[in-house]
Amino acid sequence: MSNPSQTTEVQDFEPRIVAFLCKWCSSAGSDLAGVSRIQYSANATPITIPCSGSVSPMYILSAFNKGADGVLISGCHPGDCHYMEGNYLARRKLYLVKELLQFIGLESDRFRMSWVSAAEGAKFAEVVDEFVEDLRVLGPQNRLKAER
Amino acid sequence: MVNVEEIRDYAAGLLEKGEVKSVLGFRRGSASAFAEPCTITNVGEAASLVWDPTCLNNLALYLVKDRKQQAVSKTPDTRPVGIVAKGCDSRAIGVLLQENYFKREDVVVIGVSCEGTGVVDPRKLSAKLKGRTASRVTFAVQGSTSVAGGRTPGATDGADGINVSVYGDETETVIPAREVLADRCLECRAAAPALNDVVFGNTVEARDFNEPFHAAKEAERLSEDERWATWERHFDRCLRCFACRAVCPMCYCPECVVDSTTFVVTLGTSAEEKANRIRWCERSANTSESAVYHLTRAIHLAGRCIDCGECERVCPVNIPLRLLNTKLEKEAFEMFEYQAGHDIEQASLLSSFRDEDPNSFIR
Amino acid sequence: MTKRTGVFVCHCGKNIAATVDVKKVAQELAKDDGVVFSEDYVYMCSDPGQTAVIDAIKDNNLNGMVISCCSPTLHEKTFRDASELGDLNAFQCEIANIREQCAWVHKDMEVATEKALKITRASVRRVQHNQALEPIGVPVTRRAMVVGAGIAGIQAALDLTDAGLDVVLVEKQATIGGNMLKLSETFPTLDCSQCILSPKMVSVSKNSKITLMTESEVESISGFVGNFKVKIKKKAEFVDPELCKLCDDCTPVCPVAVPNEYDVGLTNRRAIHIPFAQAIPASFTLDEEACLGLNPVVCGKCEEVCDVGAIDYDKKPTVTEEDIGAIIVSTGFDLYGMEHMGEFGGGRYPDVLDGLQFERLCSASGATEGHIMRPSDHKVPKEIVFIQCSGSRDPENHCAYCSKICCMYTAKHATLYKHHVPDGQAYIFYIDIRSGGKGYEEFVQRSMENDGVIYLRGRVSRVYEKDGKLRVMGVDTLAGRNVEIDADMVVLAQAMEPSKGTAEIAKILKIARDKDGFLAEAHPKLKPVESVTAGIYLAGAAQGPKDIPETVSQAGAAASKVIALLSKDQLAHSPMVAKVRDPYCTGCEMCVDACPYDAITLVDGKASVNEVLCEGCGSCVGVCVRAAIDVKNVTQLQIHEMISAIMA
Repeated sequence: MSNPSQTTEVQDFEPRIVAFLCKWCSSAGSDLAGVSRIQYSANATPITIPCSGSVSPMYILSAFNKGADGVLISGCHPGDCHYMEGNYLARRKLYLVKELLQFIGLESDRFRMSWVSAAEGAKFAEVVDEFVEDLRVLGPQNRLKAER
Repeated sequence: MVNVEEIRDYAAGLLEKGEVKSVLGFRRGSASAFAEPCTITNVGEAASLVWDPTCLNNLALYLVKDRKQQAVSKTPDTRPVGIVAKGCDSRAIGVLLQENYFKREDVVVIGVSCEGTGVVDPRKLSAKLKGRTASRVTFAVQGSTSVAGGRTPGATDGADGINVSVYGDETETVIPAREVLADRCLECRAAAPALNDVVFGNTVEARDFNEPFHAAKEAERLSEDERWATWERHFDRCLRCFACRAVCPMCYCPECVVDSTTFVVTLGTSAEEKANRIRWCERSANTSESAVYHLTRAIHLAGRCIDCGECERVCPVNIPLRLLNTKLEKEAFEMFEYQAGHDIEQASLLSSFRDEDPNSFIR
Repeated sequence: MTKRTGVFVCHCGKNIAATVDVKKVAQELAKDDGVVFSEDYVYMCSDPGQTAVIDAIKDNNLNGMVISCCSPTLHEKTFRDASELGDLNAFQCEIANIREQCAWVHKDMEVATEKALKITRASVRRVQHNQALEPIGVPVTRRAMVVGAGIAGIQAALDLTDAGLDVVLVEKQATIGGNMLKLSETFPTLDCSQCILSPKMVSVSKNSKITLMTESEVESISGFVGNFKVKIKKKAEFVDPELCKLCDDCTPVCPVAVPNEYDVGLTNRRAIHIPFAQAIPASFTLDEEACLGLNPVVCGKCEEVCDVGAIDYDKKPTVTEEDIGAIIVSTGFDLYGMEHMGEFGGGRYPDVLDGLQFERLCSASGATEGHIMRPSDHKVPKEIVFIQCSGSRDPENHCAYCSKICCMYTAKHATLYKHHVPDGQAYIFYIDIRSGGKGYEEFVQRSMENDGVIYLRGRVSRVYEKDGKLRVMGVDTLAGRNVEIDADMVVLAQAMEPSKGTAEIAKILKIARDKDGFLAEAHPKLKPVESVTAGIYLAGAAQGPKDIPETVSQAGAAASKVIALLSKDQLAHSPMVAKVRDPYCTGCEMCVDACPYDAITLVDGKASVNEVLCEGCGSCVGVCVRAAIDVKNVTQLQIHEMISAIMA
């Protein structure tokens, strides 16, 4: 990061994030951030899904393949899942996805998971902002991105 | 030490009594010293069965093939199939049973313990022989002479070396097993088939070759950039020949979600359905598309891969595919205490959870 | 089928339009494949806005539409209803949230417009693969359960039976009545709490439509709105209420004395006891924990003296399963523990009391028969200090929220004190006085003017014992001076917190709690009595601190919601349920194991979904390696399309 040209690139670079938000907690939490007018980076585009447990690993691989610089999956805190268990299933599955992506050398900061409840508008904003900052440091995601 | 005559007798007995329609096993290959899979259907053929360190294949694959054949047959033969199964093969059968692919009574498992060794890695053997071709490869009998490098301490039974003869020179050389065994055998934790109807050979507890998941752990040690440099090279040279999928007994899906060429199209498939098939990756053998293919395959095998190493063995461009699977099996074992193929009653790895599953990686 | 998609971009006045270039969004989307209509409008949800939507559907023969507006939690239903009015299936309408998730959280117009475009475009791609769906009809069990029989639960149960519904009323304690039973008088009218509550309790016991289950707790629940199956565990009924004649021969022989819950520990009771004279059900009960030993029976004195043979030590707990259509949870509150208030001498000095203990001192049915005296020496306190917000409004150390009722009950306590001890002096330390409510402010003023209660605005730093008195060190911020009062008694207006067991019942019923542990309503304004789980409603202080009139109103509201729900022959179940793609299913049962609702079974070797049980969570989708199962209208294809739209 000592290279000055790289630094400029970092500042100009706007990461593109696909954010999968469960309908009941995290999407509601992002709604609360809106109602509370908490300002945060516009880099994450939300896709509302029923439950973090419904996330297929394909969604993550596909987003990276299509050029996402980061993928965020956010669900209800353990014990709070609207569907009781979905987030526990998500946690186990996505732990393995994370380990696999790291194993083949995708930068570990590119895939993130968070628990954001319907009451945590501020946390949602923080999660997005932190993610964007971490991705700015990494620069564009080229490792899994399709050349097309 | 497994006496192959016992396996032959048992297989012959099954066929004679009509308990099975066929027995899946190994016979002498026609092209080299390596054994090849075979299906025998009559008593006389039982004598052709062999058991040696070249019995590489995971025969559970042929149970899947049989099941697929029966499914489309107008006159399906539903009698059980006998199968010669190593430890890894029996775990594969375990996963297939767990996933209801067939029933326990559909299969007679003729277990064979690899005891203190396993099967050879053809590439390692070839390198060891410096270009000469092996004509005969057998387990070195315990107490036999001239074990190069000495006996492995702790190996109490079976063999700890591999006898190799090469063409044009019929003197047997004993190579220490460690030097030519397949990686998965060096890391094997259950060389004796736990799921069986009969077992030949003993269970050898102390097999001090490599620690479990040794290769995956070594690969983890590299830096992130080194890891990517390695895997980028691997994905880049993948031909997408799908040999890894074809040889894998767990890849029995009717269609492969990451290979549009397998999408099932029948007369009843509407144009809309065809148009609506998801192409998670393109068919071109690019780095990115091959990455999606291999990563998907790895995730889809999480908690299902029983580490027979066949994908890696058959890869024509030498991609160490086994690493991807064993990495996840390592996580499953260490984090979730889950071992594929060990309990046919358990819920699968991904459809179960524990309250104490790792949580700290989540923001 | 040719896609004919409509896009409607709402300005929401300036709410969206100030940050998002709505015209540009509409114009850009008009260029997208399959979009045949794309316009913006100032208030899409207004009557003219909805009319424009309906007209556009008809004029353009739309077969799908996206309303790009506020969160779907607000107006998804509005626009799906409008969709139906335009003869477009409700499930062909999707909402793109460009307000809460975009306009309100970004300032830069260019950036926000770009994001709004992505969100809308993703929704368009999704809706183009939506199926027309019809709600699934589910039969209804016309029977309700009320959990917690304080004033909220009693009111709700009675209201439900008035509408002809059968009610199972479940109460953890040995008697119904809850905290209200312990109160002496109620603000602002000072009518006797028991006098207004007891008749309702009797109505419960006489009501043939109410199945009352005391000393009972909900053990588990399965099913769904309209068709719950609830397992209720009832403690062993050692004293048969049918046989018990209330003769009270048993208590004198019982050797065990434990603090009496009803008197908040100011008196003791026996292991065998009646909670209080007017308890419902009217029966003695045996406290299993306190009894010297049921197994093996080592005492047995009460059984010996019971002439009617009402006592049986061999009774075991029972579990019954009830079919229930809807549930009201009214599990009430507890006072924040006195042990947390060390600085005020809480839990340390016998003459530092909490509000409920003071109620018992004032109550004619209490330990002192309505005479206010110090628990330590039974002297009448001449100087008494009330401390408001004890444990409330203190996010650093205690509860962050306002407990709402303490200002009023403290004014009541001071007034009652003056009525009992006319020559005494009452002081109240307060932060603010919150007396919103009919007649409340007047009541507070009366306590100041007529009863000479001295209100001191400021916090108390410390209370400690000195020379037989309680020295209260406080400040009067209005006068700008420190205040020291040597009081005979100190009463702490302890914060209200959700009753013990609220977390557990919430977990069992799968309803959410808020950050303070109270049961969470589905929407803070528009769904104040609904929980997030369909068919489960909330009433009373379990949902948040509130007084009796508010509790009764909420109980009535919850009951009327249940009555409306159970008045239908069938309930509509969301049709967004899982669907198996048969040819690809191999019957591996991963989805069966993953389904939290046991909605999937294997039929002929393939997964099969019970659409009534399925809630559409998609856990099955997430585990199926063959992609052989999808949730309707949130299919993997649709998610793939949305990802593509966002990354394009």
